[in-house]
Amino acid sequence: MDSSDTPIYSKAPRSIPGKIFDVLSGFGLATCTLLLLGLLTWFATLEQIDNGLYPTLTKYFAWQSLFLLPEINGKTVPLPLPGGYWVSAVLLLNLILGGVIRIRKGWKHAGNLISHFGIIFMLIGGGVAHHFSERGNMAVGQGDSSNAAEDYFEYVVEVTEIKDGKAGNVKVIRGKDIEDLDGAAARIFRMPDMPFDLELTGFHKNAVPVSANERAPDRQQFIADGYFLMEKPKLAKAEEAERYTAGIYGRILKRDGSKSAPFILAGASFHPFSYRVDDRIFTVDMRKRLWPMPFTLKLDKFTAAFHPGTMRPSKFVSEVTRLESGGEAKVTVQMNEPMRYEGYTFFQASYGPPGAGPRDKMYSVFEVVKNPADKWPEYSLWIVAFGMAVTFLIKLFSFLAGGSRKKRHV
Amino acid sequence: MKAASFPLARGKRRDYSPLMKCRFACLLASVVILSSCEEKKEIAVTETRAATTRDVAPKLFATSDERFRDAKPSPVQGDTPQGWLSLPASQFRLLNYRFGESGKGEVWVSLVQGSVLDNVNRWLKEFGGEPVDQAGLEKLRTVTLAGATGIFVTAEGVYKGAMGASPKPGSALAGVVASVGGQILTVKMVGPKAEVDAAKPVLESYIKSLRMAE
Repeated sequence: MDSSDTPIYSKAPRSIPGKIFDVLSGFGLATCTLLLLGLLTWFATLEQIDNGLYPTLTKYFAWQSLFLLPEINGKTVPLPLPGGYWVSAVLLLNLILGGVIRIRKGWKHAGNLISHFGIIFMLIGGGVAHHFSERGNMAVGQGDSSNAAEDYFEYVVEVTEIKDGKAGNVKVIRGKDIEDLDGAAARIFRMPDMPFDLELTGFHKNAVPVSANERAPDRQQFIADGYFLMEKPKLAKAEEAERYTAGIYGRILKRDGSKSAPFILAGASFHPFSYRVDDRIFTVDMRKRLWPMPFTLKLDKFTAAFHPGTMRPSKFVSEVTRLESGGEAKVTVQMNEPMRYEGYTFFQASYGPPGAGPRDKMYSVFEVVKNPADKWPEYSLWIVAFGMAVTFLIKLFSFLAGGSRKKRHV
Repeated sequence: MKAASFPLARGKRRDYSPLMKCRFACLLASVVILSSCEEKKEIAVTETRAATTRDVAPKLFATSDERFRDAKPSPVQGDTPQGWLSLPASQFRLLNYRFGESGKGEVWVSLVQGSVLDNVNRWLKEFGGEPVDQAGLEKLRTVTLAGATGIFVTAEGVYKGAMGASPKPGSALAGVVASVGGQILTVKMVGPKAEVDAAKPVLESYIKSLRMAE
C-alpha cells in the first residue's frame, strides 16, 4: 500500500460502522499486524530450537491458540502475544477492506491492487495449509531406509495377513472409528474378505500395558492375559499429545459365531497380536497411522553441530538418497532447506537418540507435510512481484510523460 | 414477501408462512443431526494401505510378556524398589521405571557410549550446568555400582533432555555413571525436584542392588 491508498474523507461525521470500517481497513491495523507477525515468527524460530518444530508451530500458529507467552532458553517471556492464526486473519480482513475495497481504483492503481491480491492469496494459502494439510514424521537411522511417514497423533488398528513371513496389504481401522469406544462401548468391525471380524472396546487415549502380577489394577481394569491398560497422566500441554500411547481391548469374532479370548492392543507394544485361522496367519496391531510414500528415503549421513559449550544446535544436516523406480537422487535436507517432491515436503525436524553420546548411532527425524497449498506462497510471490513491477512501470511512464510535457511547455 | 408454495397431491397448492418453513427446516435439521449422532455398532473396514519398510518380518505369536516388555534379557539386573512402577524396557533403557506421586519421575538404566567424563558432562548440560574437567570429576562423590566405582551426579533446574521435548523447570537429576567391564553403565533418575530429593535414599539402595547378568 502506498500513500495513494488514502481514501477521500467526507466532512460529515462518520457513523459508528463507518469508524469501525476505517479502523479495520486502516494502515494502523496493517502495521500492527505485520509487526506482530514479525515478532511471532522471531520468537517461534528461537523457541523451536528447544521445543521442536511441531509443538512450536502449534503453539504459535494453530487456530486454537488465541494468546501465548513466548519462551526463550526455557524461560517464559512475560509478553502475551496473540496467536499467529488470528493475527493473519485480521491482516487478511484488513487487506480485503483496505487493499481491495477501500483503495482508489483506476489503471494507475492496478499494480497495487494486484500486489494486494497476491498477499491475500498467500494468507488464504496459509489457512488452506493449516486446515487441509496432513503432517507426520519419518525417523530414519543412519544407513537405514524408510518409505513411510507416521502421523503425529492418530492411533489406528491394523489387520494384516502374513504370507511367507511378510506382511501383505494392511486393513486400517481409523482413529475416528475407535476413539469414542471408552468404557464399555464396543463396536464390531466387519472385514468380509477376512475369515473373521474384530470387536474393539475400552479405548484409552494414553495408557500402557501393565502386568497384573506387578501392580494390581487401581480402577478395576479388565485383565487380558495377565495385563491391563493403566491410564497415564495427561500431559500439561495439548501439543505434547504426540507422546501419548493409546490402548484398546480387542476380540476376534469367528465366522462360526464364536469369539476369541480378549487381548490388548497398545501403542506401547513391541510386537503385534497374532491369530491363526486354519493355515492362514494374521496380525492385529495398534500403531500411529502410517502413510506409504511413493519413494524410499535412505539416510546416508547425519551431522549435528552445536554452539560451543551448549546443547543448542547451530546446524543439523541430513544427507539422503531418494530411491524411486530404480533411479536415485542425492538430496541434502537441513534447517530451512526442506526437500520438496511429489506433493510432499520433508523438513529437518529433530534427531535422536535423546541425549546421544559421541559414538551413538544417530537417527534423523523429518517432518513430512502433504499440503494442497504447497505452491501457493510461490505463486503469490510472483503475483506480488508482477503487481510491484506494474506499479513501478506506471510510475516510470508517468514520470517520463510528465517530463516530456514539461519540456513541451518550456 | 410472497410465501413459497408446495404442490399438494390433489393438484392444489398451499402457501406456507415463513414460520412454517422455518419449522420444516428445523425438523429436517433435527432428523439429520440425530441420525448422525447415532452410535454405530458395526463398521465395514474398507481402508487399506500397502506394506512399508515399517512392516518387515513381525514376530508372530509373541506372548503378552514379549509383546509388552522387551523380551531380550537385560544385561543388568536389579531389585525393583517398593512404590516404583516397572515399565517395559526400550532400545535405550535396559531397565525402566516410574516413581513419585506426580507420575513424572523416571529412573532408567542404560549402557551407553563415550567416557564417564563425556556422560557426566552431557547430563550436566541437560540442566544448563557448566561442564567439568578430569580434576573436577575426581572431586565428585563416588558410589559402588555393579562392583565398579561410579560418579554420583546431581543437578537441578530446567531439564532439557532432548530435541523436541519441552524443557521442564523445577526438575532435578540424581544418577551414577560408571565404567563397568569396559562399558559405561548409567543409572539416571529425573523428575520434579521434591520427588527426586525424597527418592534419593531409595535410589542409593537400588544402585547397590544392581548387578551385571551372568
